[in-house]
Amino acid sequence: MASLVPCPHCGQRPKEEFTIKGAALTRPAAGAEAADWFDYVYLRDNPRGAYEEYWHHTSGCRRWIVVTRDTVTHDVAASRDAADRARSEART
Amino acid sequence: MSDFRPILRPALATKKAVASAALKLSPLPEGTILHVLARSGEQDIVPLLDSLAKPAAHAVRPVSPGQWFIVHEEPMHHKEMKSLFAALEPRATGVDQSHGRVRIRIEGKMASRALSKGTAVDLDPSAFPIGQSAVTLIGHIAAHLTRVAPEAFEIIVLRGFAESLWDDLARMSLEYI
Repeated sequence: MASLVPCPHCGQRPKEEFTIKGAALTRPAAGAEAADWFDYVYLRDNPRGAYEEYWHHTSGCRRWIVVTRDTVTHDVAASRDAADRARSEART
Repeated sequence: MSDFRPILRPALATKKAVASAALKLSPLPEGTILHVLARSGEQDIVPLLDSLAKPAAHAVRPVSPGQWFIVHEEPMHHKEMKSLFAALEPRATGVDQSHGRVRIRIEGKMASRALSKGTAVDLDPSAFPIGQSAVTLIGHIAAHLTRVAPEAFEIIVLRGFAESLWDDLARMSLEYI
């Protein structure tokens, strides 16, 4: 099965070119409670359906991207550069 | 003192030529490859790169957002390279990769067919026209691919992987030889 991942810079590429980091969570503030950090580091939801993940295009443009993917169907709804996502979050 | 003396030789000097009417694989001269990295926020330095590269007939190849290779057949004099790097500052930084990366040329009417065995990039001329570049896996080796002519591609690969990639390409080309 060919799993294609759309890279916002390179277009459709096979998953072999990427490295998955995991869920794209919002990082707690530096001075947050230990419990918040524990959750951020160790606790993960395991949703059936839409999921935001960090992928690294290791063998391509070497950019971190955030892929919105369905864990059941592997349909990719969105894919954007992680820096753009961080910028748009900083604005809100 | 050790008797071992490192000898600088082209990475693909010992490789046998792979050539036929349909496909030809050839190592390109180890001239100049400069890696240019733009400072963050400086995404549009292409006009600057063109203005620096064009007069000296160097080629500019996009690598990824904010990164380019400047490629030339001949080795660049240290003084010339220094002034080029100085001209890039402060908007971008240049790194000499001339000895770190090797260029391979694959040409002929079967070149894109052979390459397609190793990469998932669509190499049809409509999707990948002359001058287009892509960084991709060829087999298990990451390489930079550029279409330089209607039926010719230039591959830039890390020096340590050059021999492996050459052997892979030679095997991928066997049926067209």
